[in-house]
This record gives sequence, C-alpha cells and structure tokens, in this order.
Amino acid sequence: MASTEFLHGTRLRAAFDSPEGILAAVRALRAEGHRVLDTYTPFPVHGMDEAMELRPSRLPRACLGFGLLGLALAVALQVWTSAFDYPLRVGGKPLAAIPAFIPVTFELTVLLAGLGVVASLFVVAGLRPRFRVPDLHPGANDDRFVLACEVLAGSNPEDVATRLEGMGATGVALLVDDRLARADSFWERKAGPGIYLLAALPAAAVLGLLALLNRDYHFRNLSWDGGMGAQVSAASFDASGVLPGGTVLQPPPRGTVPRDGLAPLGFGPGKEEAARAGRELQNPFQPTQANFNRGRQVYERACAACHGKDGDNNAPIVTERKAFSPSILVSKKVVDQPDGYLFHVATFGGPEKMRGLGDLIGREDRWKVVLYLRELQKAAAPRPPSPPAAPPAAPAPGAKP
Amino acid sequence: MAPEGTAHALPGALEPGVDPHYGHVLPLIDGNKSYAQVTEEVFSTTERRPPLRWWLAFAAAFAMLLLGVWAVSQTIRLGIGTWGLNRTVGWAFDITNFVFWVGIGHAGTLISAILFLFRQQWRTSINRAAEAMTIFAVMCAATFPIIHMGRPWLAFWPLPYPNDRGPLWVNFKSPLLWDVFAISTYFTISLTFWYIGLVPDLATMRDRARTRVRKAVFSILSLGWNGSNRTWSRYETVYMLLAGLSTPLVVSVHTIVSMDFATSVIPGWHATIFPPYFVVGAVFSGFAMVLTLMIIARKVMGLEDYITARHLEAMTKVIIATGMIVGMAYATEFFIAWYSGNPFEKYVFLNRALGPYQWAYWSMVACNVLSPQFFWFKKVRTTPWMIFVLSIFVNIGMWFERFVIIVTSLHRDYLPSSWALYRPTFIEVATFIGSFGLFFTCFLVFTRLLPVIAASEVKGVLKHGQH
Repeated sequence: MASTEFLHGTRLRAAFDSPEGILAAVRALRAEGHRVLDTYTPFPVHGMDEAMELRPSRLPRACLGFGLLGLALAVALQVWTSAFDYPLRVGGKPLAAIPAFIPVTFELTVLLAGLGVVASLFVVAGLRPRFRVPDLHPGANDDRFVLACEVLAGSNPEDVATRLEGMGATGVALLVDDRLARADSFWERKAGPGIYLLAALPAAAVLGLLALLNRDYHFRNLSWDGGMGAQVSAASFDASGVLPGGTVLQPPPRGTVPRDGLAPLGFGPGKEEAARAGRELQNPFQPTQANFNRGRQVYERACAACHGKDGDNNAPIVTERKAFSPSILVSKKVVDQPDGYLFHVATFGGPEKMRGLGDLIGREDRWKVVLYLRELQKAAAPRPPSPPAAPPAAPAPGAKP
Repeated sequence: MAPEGTAHALPGALEPGVDPHYGHVLPLIDGNKSYAQVTEEVFSTTERRPPLRWWLAFAAAFAMLLLGVWAVSQTIRLGIGTWGLNRTVGWAFDITNFVFWVGIGHAGTLISAILFLFRQQWRTSINRAAEAMTIFAVMCAATFPIIHMGRPWLAFWPLPYPNDRGPLWVNFKSPLLWDVFAISTYFTISLTFWYIGLVPDLATMRDRARTRVRKAVFSILSLGWNGSNRTWSRYETVYMLLAGLSTPLVVSVHTIVSMDFATSVIPGWHATIFPPYFVVGAVFSGFAMVLTLMIIARKVMGLEDYITARHLEAMTKVIIATGMIVGMAYATEFFIAWYSGNPFEKYVFLNRALGPYQWAYWSMVACNVLSPQFFWFKKVRTTPWMIFVLSIFVNIGMWFERFVIIVTSLHRDYLPSSWALYRPTFIEVATFIGSFGLFFTCFLVFTRLLPVIAASEVKGVLKHGQH
C-alpha cells in the first residue's frame, strides 16, 4: 500500500461503545481502502491485531536475548569469582562446581530476561513518564473504543463519517494531529546541541576534579566501610605512633597485683635494688633438663629477639637495623653478675635501655631463663685446653644446637 | 488481559438438570455492569477519604507494626541474645517466620502467572490484590534473615560486588546465598509484574485525577499510556512472557528455600522430598492467606460483585488439593524415616509426634490435614464465614509446619549431650506480630491508593458468558 497517498489525507476519529462495534468498523474501513492508524481501547480487543494486520511482536526475541545474557553473566561471574579470583575449596567440591551454580544462574537468567523485556517494551512502545500524553482520546481508558483513521485520498471524509455513524460510532470528528501543538513541550522537544553541552558539564567537572585533586594513587580512594584492606600496616620494629614513647607494649599500671599467687617480690626497680637482689636472692631451681628446656623456650621467645639466640647479640634488630646494642649476655661482664642481679634485670629492666619484663614473663620462668643463660655462657666460654680424648666441640650438658 | 480464545474458567458445559446457579456458567462478575460502572466502582475508592472502619483497621495494624519496630530495634541494639536461640537451636522463630511469609507470597504469583497461563479467567478479580500480597509478604519475609544477621547494616555483604575486603567473593555453593538471589529476584520480578499490570489502570487514574498532585503522580507512573492497540499488542506479549518467567521462578524460590534445609545433614531436614513438599505447602498457605484477605476486603470494601462466591469456591478447591498433597508428604516423611533404617531419622520423627513439641506437631496435622476436609461440602465452600475460619486454621497450621520442621529437627539431633529446648522470648513474638503489622499496614494503604481490582482485566471478561 502506498503510504505517500495518505500523507495529507483527512484524519477522522470515531468512538464506539463496544469492542464488537469497533472491530466491525475497522474491518469495514480497511476493506474500503482507508487506513486505520490505531485504535484506543480500555482493554485489548481480541481480533484487532488480525483486523489491523499487525505483525506479531518481536519482543520474545528480546526476552530470549536478555535471558541468554543473564545466563552468560551468571556463569561467568560464578566461575570467575569461585575458581579464579578467589579460589576457595568448599566441602571438597570442585572450584567451578557447575551443579551448585545452577540456582543462581537460573535466578539471574529470569531476572535479566524479565527486566530486559520490560525495558524493551518501554523503549519500543515509547512508554515513559509523560505530562502530555500523545493521542489521548477521552474515555479510551474508561469505556470508549476509539479508532483513528486516514481517509483514502479521493473519497469524501463526510461520507466516511456518515458511514461510521451508521456503524454505531458516536463522536465522529476530524482528528487534528496534536503533535504540532505539542512541539513546545519541554519533555517532547528534540534535544539540540545544548543538551549535550549540558550533559558534558558534570562529566567535565568530575574529570577536572580528578585531575586537580592531589591524589595518592597508592591508596584506595573509594571505600565502603574503611575496611581492613585499606589500613596502614606497620613494619616489624616500627615505633608505635599511638602509644607514648613509641613502644607497643606498655607496663601495667602501678599497683597491679600479679595473678600467679606468689608473695610480693620485695624489691623495687633501680641499681641499688639490683645489687641487693644479687646479694640476697638465690635461684630456687636446680639445673634439671626440664627447667633447662623451659628456660630455653622462654629465652628464645622473650630475650632472643634482641640478645640473640646464643646471647651474642646476633639478632636482626641489632645486626641489621642497628637500633641499639644490648649487653652481650655471654660477655664476662654479665657472666660475673650473680643470679639474683640477672633476675632483677629481667624483672625491672636493665641499667640502660632494657625494659622490665616482669609483667610478661612469670617469676618462675624468669629464674629458669637465668638458669638457661648460665648454660649459654658456659657453652660460649673459651674452652680450657682439653685432653685430646675429649670430643672437640662437646656442647654444654643438655645444650642443643 | 485475558488471553484470547479462552475456554470457560471451569470445564464442562451447562447440562440439563444442572443447577444453573452453580458452576462455570455464572458470569465472572456479578451485577451485569457496564464498563463505566466498573471504572467508577473500582477507582472511586481511591479518590474518597477512607471510612472509619478503615482507620480502625489501620490503627490496629500500625500499632502492631510499631510493636515490631520496637522489637527489632531492641534486637539490633542488644543483639540476637534477646532471642531464645541457643547453641543447639540456632534457627527457630526467625526462619520459621521467613519461610511462612515467603510461602504466603507464592499464591500471588500463582494466581497472577500460573492461572494466567492456564487461562483461568476467574483470576482477574483477585490477581491485583494477590500480587500486592506477594510483594508485602516478601518484604516481611526478608526482614527476618536480615535482622538475624545481627549486624543488619552490613546486609549488603552477601551481594557479589567488587569490595575492598580482598575482594572477598561470596560462596556461590551455599544455599543461603542461593536464597539471597532467589528472594531478591522474586521480589524484583513480582514488583515488575505488578507494576506492568497496573499501568493501564494508572492511566485511568491519571485521566480521572482532579488535583494537580494526583495528575502529576499518575502521569509519571502511567508512562503516557493511551490504550493504543499497538501498545496493547506488545503489552500482552510482555505480560505473557513475564507470566512464563514467573511460573518457574516461583517454583525455584521455594525449592531454594527448602534447600536451605535439605542440603544440610540434620535428620529431619536432609530429605529429597523437601522441594516439592515446600512448594505445595507454599501454595497451600498462600491461598489460605489470599482467602483470608479477600473475604475481609470484599466485605469491607463492598466488592462482593467482583470477588464472588465463585472465586472463593475455586480457591477452596486449590486448598483442598494442596492440603492433601501436604498431608501425603507428612505421611511420606514418616514412611521414609522408617524405611531408611536410619536411627537418627527415625528418632526425629518419633520425637516430632511424641516428644516435647508434640503439641506443635498435632496442631499442624489438625489444621493442615483435617481442617481442609470440610471443603468437601459445597455448603462450606460457598459460605464466606466458614471459608474464613478454615483459612485461618490453615494459616496457623502452615506456620506450625515450618516451626515443627525447623525446631524439632534441630533440638535433638545426633549428640544427646547437645539436646536442648527452645522457647521464644517476648522480643521474638513481638517481631512476629510486627511482621503482621507491616503486612496489614502496607495492604491497607494499598487498598486506598491503588485500584484493588484490575479494572482493565475485569472489563475484558465482563461480558463473559453473555456472548
């Protein structure tokens, strides 16, 4: 059918009060060669698609396409996150456990198919919020069945109108294309170049801000919750920026009572007290294998970090970072100190930098450390010339490499 | 949108001697109305001020909602310790209520989608309200797992988005995560389906609007709808597609909910019968809730001509069918427990029927298996107050079913030293009451703001049986 023929034809509108009436009118008009532009009805009139010879909608294809997209996205998301980006074995199942992915795949397929086909409907049918509705005929959403037609060029519109009235139409009228009247509506206006400029402004503002802001790209700038991934981490042996003095471990508050149930020590910090401890205290533990082992365990945990595993200051903090130089425990100066003095230093701290560890190491363990230290010193002492029968590098009793 | 070429709602033709006032030959809508009359009756309720009885109902519902808000705020402020859960029974009231509400929602989708595909035209009067019920029920359901998380402000963590925790991705092999996807997809698609169904009616509201605000609001919502046949043609295609998508979706949702239980190794949960058993139970409870709501709504809003005795009767038939399937499932569970030879399984089921929660078990059996049997009588099927009473029993029974499945399976499983009892605290009961408050508040607001009857669909079946 040559559509140009209708371009300037007269348009008519006719309202009917039943679906049967409008259906008959549409069939009759089309049989006579007039063009039915559209019908406007309160509910879908069945048979109208055939009468108007509308093609079946292709929206099912859109639905299928969006569904397949959802399926592909779901499979990709699950396989990539579970097997590649964060491979975590759960319940001994394979990383890409396809049967376990079926439910989420199904849900996302349905979600995208449903939302996609509805969005397609909105686009194809031009459904969007409108304050001026095009082709809105009075009563078409209530009880009127309205048709809009274009009269075949050469026939008299008044004859057609009379014929429509004969078929039961009420309110037959010339149809003015209100699209012309609507041209000044803001919502209907065609977007000119200005609109692109307007849209470009926020984008330019964001880009400008990004360029101007002095960003440190080593850190994440977007954080949902200031989570653990973005925190500043401290290197070992760094000074604490939080606690006074830069130390991480703080001494307990004054007057703190130990929970080990032992009587008070009866000594305070200071050089005089240390000397007094050296005079008055004896190591209550015998050098048995068990005490030795415990002493070694505690020494290697608490002391070796600074004093070195063998008491010779061979510890990274001394040899590499050169933070300080502790007393060399196997030196003669320390060897000559009595047990009680060493116990006091372990408890209250040394004459120089060493911090007291009485709050960290139990009293008995401190004595056992002293016991172990004595063995270290024996092992390190320059050996007197030995009889040739003795093995050349016999370790101290009980000491192990 | 009645699909064309439809058969009558119920099969069979008018035979000589058949009671002409009974069965399919009655028109779907009573009162021999005109199209304009339907428009006036459906939409005028949204344009008037609500009557006193609406305000009374709203006040009651809102008071319940406030109680629930208080209970939830206590839970969030003080933690899950305000609930009666313990190490043994870690799921109880909360998950019971979750499954209960999700199940309620399923009838809405069933009516809007499955009955549409089966061309059951009687659905047109009730589908709008039933779909609204779905949406509000899913909202109630989602509340419970979210507050059970303990830190509900982190409830977005189950979503797989690129995060700054690693990125730490979610475990797609977990049924609890499947639940997140199932419920959120279900909610989204139900809302979309509901909205799509509303668009033609929203256009009528726009055309009828007298105030500027109403005009503006409904202009936005009705998307420039003008009733064009070209649009109707596409719209019906999309509506059919959405119905086709929703039908497997609704089955998948309760299947996945049942997998929360069935994929565990707890005796009483670890059963392959769970997916169909849960889906049928959901339809059963959902139809009971639709009946409860519709019987109230038709009375309060004067919609007896639209929601006729015939609609109620059709729904009671669904209730009796699904109720018997549910009863069959109860029997099958016992049979399999015995037939499996698994002593733990056997114990759980004996404990259900004879143990400390036997009162819950037998309440469930009485409400779900025995009470629907009254629907064999036509007198009961066509008397609204009797249907109402029985629908309440089914609601109660289906709540107990979920309670029985969850609590009796957990409270005594493999290790007798871990056996414990559960009893809800006041906070939990108040939260449950609050969920009813949320549901009824939303529903009551809906009945005043939007057309409860899908007018454009009802007009399509108005002359049903007259030509």
